[in-house]
Amino acid sequence: MLSFLRRSMLTREPETHLWYVVPDEVKSAPLLSKYMELLPQSERDHVLGFRGDQLQKSALLARTLVRTTIARYQVDGHLDPRSLRFKRNIHGKPEVEWETKDGFCPPPLQFNISHTSSLVACGVTMNSLIGIDVEEKRRRTKNNILAFAKRYFTAHEVEHLNAIPDSELQQQEFIKLWTLKEAYVKALGKGFSSSPFNTFTIRVNTAAQESFCLNQASSGIAVETLDSPQNLTNNWQFALLELMGSHYVAICLERQETGGAGKAFPIKLTARKTIPSVEDELVSGTNAVVTIGGSVTQF
Amino acid sequence: MAGARGILLKHLRVKVQAFPQNPKPNNGLFGLSFNAILRQFSEAVRGSFLDKSEVTDRVVNCVKNLQKVEASKQVTTNAHFQSDLGLDSLDTVEIVMALEEEFGFEIPDNEADKINSISLAVDFIASHPQAK
Repeated sequence: MLSFLRRSMLTREPETHLWYVVPDEVKSAPLLSKYMELLPQSERDHVLGFRGDQLQKSALLARTLVRTTIARYQVDGHLDPRSLRFKRNIHGKPEVEWETKDGFCPPPLQFNISHTSSLVACGVTMNSLIGIDVEEKRRRTKNNILAFAKRYFTAHEVEHLNAIPDSELQQQEFIKLWTLKEAYVKALGKGFSSSPFNTFTIRVNTAAQESFCLNQASSGIAVETLDSPQNLTNNWQFALLELMGSHYVAICLERQETGGAGKAFPIKLTARKTIPSVEDELVSGTNAVVTIGGSVTQF
Repeated sequence: MAGARGILLKHLRVKVQAFPQNPKPNNGLFGLSFNAILRQFSEAVRGSFLDKSEVTDRVVNCVKNLQKVEASKQVTTNAHFQSDLGLDSLDTVEIVMALEEEFGFEIPDNEADKINSISLAVDFIASHPQAK
C-alpha cells in the first residue's frame, strides 16, 4: 500500500489532510466486527462502555478512523493499524506513542479527531499542532443564542452575532464560531479549562461589506487572546469548511512560517471520505467541500 | 518510697491554662439564650445546603429538558453525559447554563469542565451553599 505521506507535507507550508466517515453509510455487521478486531482490549472495553448500539458504533468508528488513518502515513505504508499505541498528554489530548526502536525516527505527525452522531472526522498534518471540530449545520441550541453567547463568548463575538438580522443565519454563524473556538482549544491541547471560551475572541474579517457572516473563502479568521489584545495571535491559522452541505468543519493549525511581508501561506487541504479498509473517495475540490472561511487551497 | 515520690512530685510540673471566666454578655453565641443558640446553629447547617435527593430530581429534569427529542435515553441518576446519553461538549455547556438558571448561582468554567455526569452535577450543587 502506498503511503499517504507526501514530501510536500514536510515543508513548512501548512498542509492538512481531512479524512471522514459517515456512520450511516457503514452498516455491515461483519465490517464493524472487523473494526473491533483492530482495537486493543482496553479500547474495545471503552467502546462497549457506551450505552446502546448507536453510541458504540460512533465510538468504534472514531477509534477505527484514527488508527487506519495514521497507519496510512508511515513511510512504507505497511504499518498495521493494530500495532499503534496511543497515550494522552498531561492535559488529556490523545497522541501516538511511537515505539522507540533503534534508528526509527517517528514522523512528526499530528492529528485530531472530532465527531457528531452523523460524522466522524480526523485531521492530519506534519510538524504543527492541529485541532478540528465538526458540527451539524442545523444544530439548534436549547438556550437563546445571544444569552448563551453573553455567558460564554466574548463581547466582540456577541456583537458579531447580534449584528446578524436573520435568525437562521445567526444560528448558523453561532455554530461556525463554536466550531472555530473548539478547534482552537483542541489545537492548543491544554484542555478547556485552561482556555475558557470567554478568554479569546475569534475575529472574522469579511471581505464583502454587505455580508456579516463567514460564507466565502476570502473571509479571514484570526484569534485574539484577551491577555494580549494588541497582537492578534499570529501563531494560528484557521480553515472553515461546509461539508456535504450539512456540516461545518473547523480546522486550526499552528503556523510554521509566514509568506513574504507577513502574509500567511494558505492552507493546502485534501479531503477524503472513507470507509476504512473498504474505499476512499477524494472529495476536495468538489462541491462536497466548500471553503467558507480562512485561506485555503483545495487539492 | 515516700522519699522518691516526694522528689518526683517536686519536679513534676503541670501546665495550668487560664480559661476565660464570665464571658461578656451579648457577645456572640454566649450572649443568647440556649434555645436561640440551637435555632441559629441548625439553620446555619440546614439552610445553606440543599437536600441531595431534591437536587437530583431538579438536575435530572434540567437534563431531560435539554434532551434532543429523538433521544429516548433514560436519564438515570447515575447517567454519564457522554457514554450514556451521547451528549457532546455543546450539550454539556447548555446543561451547565440550565443548572445555573435552575439553582441561581454561577458555575465557574474550571468546575464546569468536570461535570460529566448527573451524579457529579448533584455532588457539586449539593455542596455549594449558594445554590438555591
